[in-house]
Amino acid sequence: MENNNVKTIRDFIEREKKSYASIESTVIPALHEAEGVYGWISPEAIEDISNYTGVSKAKIKGTATFYAMYKNKPMGRHLIQLCTNVVCMVMGSESLLSLLNERYELEPGGMTSDGRFSLVIMECIGACGTAPAMLVDADYYDNLNEKNIFEILDKYQ
Amino acid sequence: MIKVNIDGQEITLEKPMTILAAAQRAGIKIPTLCYDKQLEPFGGCRLCLVEIERVPKLMASCTVNVTDGMVVRTQTEKVKKARKAQLEFLLINHPLDCPVCDKAGECDLQDLVAQYGAHEGRFLEGKRKHPESFRDPIIVRNMERCITCTRCVRMCDGVQGAFAITVTGRGNHSFVEPFTGGEYKCEYCGNCLTVCPVGAIMSKLHRHSYRPWYVEKEIKTICGFCAVGCTLIAQTRGKDIIRTMPKHGLGINDGILCVRGRFGYDYRSGEGRITTPLIRKDSGELEPASWETAIDYAARRLADIKERHGVASIGGIGSGRCTNEDNYMLQKLIRYVIGSNNMDSSARFAFAPAQKYLERMFGQGVTANLIPGIANADGVIVFGGDPTAINPILGVQCRIARRKGAKVIVIGAPAGLKGFVDYKLEPVVGCEEVVLRAIVKGVVDKKGLSGENAYIENKIKKLMSPDDETIERVGVAVADIAKAVDNILKMKSPVVVIGPEAVHTSSASLNLFLLGVINYVLNGRIFLLSEKANYQGLLDMGCAPDVVPGGRPIELDIIEHKFQDLLGSKTPEEHGMNLYEMIDAAKNGKLKALYVMGDNPLFNYPDREHIEDAFNKIDFLIVQDISLNDTVKMADVVFPANSWLEKDGTFINLGRSLQRLRKALSMDGCWDDWKIVAEVAKKLGMKKSYESSKDVWEEIRKVSPLYRDVDYVGLDEQALTWPYMGEPIRGLEGDFKVEGLEQVLGNVAKGSDGFMGLTNPVLMLERPLFHSGSMSGMSKALLSIYGAPYFKISKTLALRYGFKEGDKVRVIMEKGEIDASAQIDVNMQDGVVYLSNIFEGVGYMGVVGYKVDAVVGSLVITNNNIVDIVRVED
Repeated sequence: MENNNVKTIRDFIEREKKSYASIESTVIPALHEAEGVYGWISPEAIEDISNYTGVSKAKIKGTATFYAMYKNKPMGRHLIQLCTNVVCMVMGSESLLSLLNERYELEPGGMTSDGRFSLVIMECIGACGTAPAMLVDADYYDNLNEKNIFEILDKYQ
Repeated sequence: MIKVNIDGQEITLEKPMTILAAAQRAGIKIPTLCYDKQLEPFGGCRLCLVEIERVPKLMASCTVNVTDGMVVRTQTEKVKKARKAQLEFLLINHPLDCPVCDKAGECDLQDLVAQYGAHEGRFLEGKRKHPESFRDPIIVRNMERCITCTRCVRMCDGVQGAFAITVTGRGNHSFVEPFTGGEYKCEYCGNCLTVCPVGAIMSKLHRHSYRPWYVEKEIKTICGFCAVGCTLIAQTRGKDIIRTMPKHGLGINDGILCVRGRFGYDYRSGEGRITTPLIRKDSGELEPASWETAIDYAARRLADIKERHGVASIGGIGSGRCTNEDNYMLQKLIRYVIGSNNMDSSARFAFAPAQKYLERMFGQGVTANLIPGIANADGVIVFGGDPTAINPILGVQCRIARRKGAKVIVIGAPAGLKGFVDYKLEPVVGCEEVVLRAIVKGVVDKKGLSGENAYIENKIKKLMSPDDETIERVGVAVADIAKAVDNILKMKSPVVVIGPEAVHTSSASLNLFLLGVINYVLNGRIFLLSEKANYQGLLDMGCAPDVVPGGRPIELDIIEHKFQDLLGSKTPEEHGMNLYEMIDAAKNGKLKALYVMGDNPLFNYPDREHIEDAFNKIDFLIVQDISLNDTVKMADVVFPANSWLEKDGTFINLGRSLQRLRKALSMDGCWDDWKIVAEVAKKLGMKKSYESSKDVWEEIRKVSPLYRDVDYVGLDEQALTWPYMGEPIRGLEGDFKVEGLEQVLGNVAKGSDGFMGLTNPVLMLERPLFHSGSMSGMSKALLSIYGAPYFKISKTLALRYGFKEGDKVRVIMEKGEIDASAQIDVNMQDGVVYLSNIFEGVGYMGVVGYKVDAVVGSLVITNNNIVDIVRVED
């Protein structure tokens, strides 16, 4: 009784382990894969990786929490990454944050109750000339203001 | 030769070692926090920093090896300043809650800060907050105090091999956590809390109940929970035991303990402990009595039964929980005072017959091996039980061996050794012998025979191997068998670990023979797992119908004069009954009186109905125990006995090492077992009196030349291994029998059908890590981990019978029914259901039958096919 998620992760590990000298080395790429499959590094994801690499669950958890960019808690379907560094802040990203909070009850580091968005504050993305700027998933948006931010976000359901 | 100069002192070293080790050897003290002798060096705390000439930076002395001509300074201003700074960094987040921290007084950090300063921190920021975690039954984590020295993680991964905890997060935010984040759900060995230098991981049992300087006495004694015989230090205050600790460099366990040894000590004050003698009155009730009355009564009734029915109507059952002195005294009472050879114990079920069989193959003393030596073996072969659960520290040794490069081969479910084996050799339960046959045949064919022992080799030649189809049918890949054979052939000093399940089957003699063959061909070492602490000792003390103390046969006439002089009578000539025969005799009304010491036959022996029937027919039952168990409830006289933490004496472990037990504290109202028996014996005419267990031991030394040169003083210094500087008497006896050797096992349909789910599953005995029989069931701490009986069952089987995890189910057997909750285990086979034998009323043994193996004489469980499993409503 193996579900698809487990199978994807198992196949990935079977494939990847040939590229490394030791099976421990497949843990990091497998964590990326599991993030894609489960949406975050869930306890089930860690168990799957542990089952097929033989590395202990605790150790995998240690690895996953060491790196800041693994999603160590459940994430929404879309990830908003908003810059609040100096220039963006001056250009009004703070007020955008409070708007997001008003409209979606979205706090930095949090997730909407319907699981649609997660919000993360990010460091400078080099768009100071067209600040404020944000990333939604892998898409880049700049010159944000109180109106267009919702037009953009409406595209992500 | 390496010459180093440390703090102006010239040191000459034979071998390379770290600067820290070299300094310690020269008596120079370097402070450390993350360093621990038992663990891999880590170099994380930076407190052992030293200055090395011509090296610009300070170096961590625990990780840098000395080189010839190196000049090291450990106490310069620069070094001191660095250490102080390091401590200041640690105190940024470490709370100064020493007044409410149990560690205060034995805290490494506290001591170092006191020594090196950083009394004033310059950091104004608030400390990190991390709520204390009480979500675990016995371990409290306070991660505000954690200084991430990772000692606990290195202990868990590198020594214990449980891989339960890890450092999560990074930098300032990192702390130690089990996988679940809350409960540990691990092996609960508690070794992480011994090595924690601060109060981050602590035991819940003695939380806020004492300060380290409250300890009044520290007593070095031997753990009585299993037959490894770990040395532990019991810390006491008044009449209370505060905790038990291992110590690095001490005993077989060398600084580690298992869950029972570390947390199980509160069994002694557990529910049901009896502290006064009881006599069954005419009304049929057990009523308290004085020692004098009870002993008098017991002796009078025994004398009466002896006169009316003869000596053959009286028997005794010794105990693997009791010391050598206790068991010696009981057999002395039965054999030399009353005059009957009806003397046995529950060692008869597996340990005694297995050992006897192996000794007939290889000669006496074949199981006398050192447990710590397992770690140095280059191969471990396990059959018939999970060493990490039955004898946990032995299991840890197997894991360490694997880490050092040994191959571990487990035939059967790997259980606690999962992750330490390379391939699965897990046949259908009941068909392990097929795999063992195939492996042994493969090994013998490739390795050849040496011609050393014709008895063994003649039999090997007759050995038939199962064909590939049969092997596949029992669920093992033929390729894996070939790999196992190759690996075994490479082993030069293998260890063969034999669990009790090897002889609880009808192929007992074949299993033992085949395991013996591996041992014979490869010159290995045999370890017989044993649940009870002193099975070996009670056999050596003569608690068997056919041997007298020292392990000599009763027929040996030449020593009878000595016995006459020393003990006042000769060994009775009439053959005695073993345990099975005694039970049958009781049922037939031939056994009139039974003296049970430290055992609970009603609960621990199979086939409750049969045993109850037999015990009901016994005229006079004396039971000597620590708790009010099922057998005690049937007794005519009950004597409350001291338990292992409360007595002096000696234990012999499964590797036949003789070790000294010391009394940690006393229990009001209870007597030592030997003393109770001796008092009864005195009333029956024994002349000798004994002041202490030492007097008993002195007599044992005179009786058997094996212990001639072993006294308590010598044993205080070190444990001794068989033959204890003495003289063993028996050698090889001659030929032995093996059942079913020539049979080709083409027909294993029974087991494989179970596997396919076509027939009903079988009920098997679970031997859990967290308990060893019913004694540990008195410990509140162990009960908080494993507190209620359950059926361990596979997912497929649960689906088939239609219930979920946690549902209450009733398992219907031919010999009764049993209710417990269901626990689903994904790693389990489909053909078996496991049930423990710990909780009264819900024991495995009560609902199965037994027969005796014709060749080995071990207990073979029968009637264990499950008739049906139904869900019951609460």
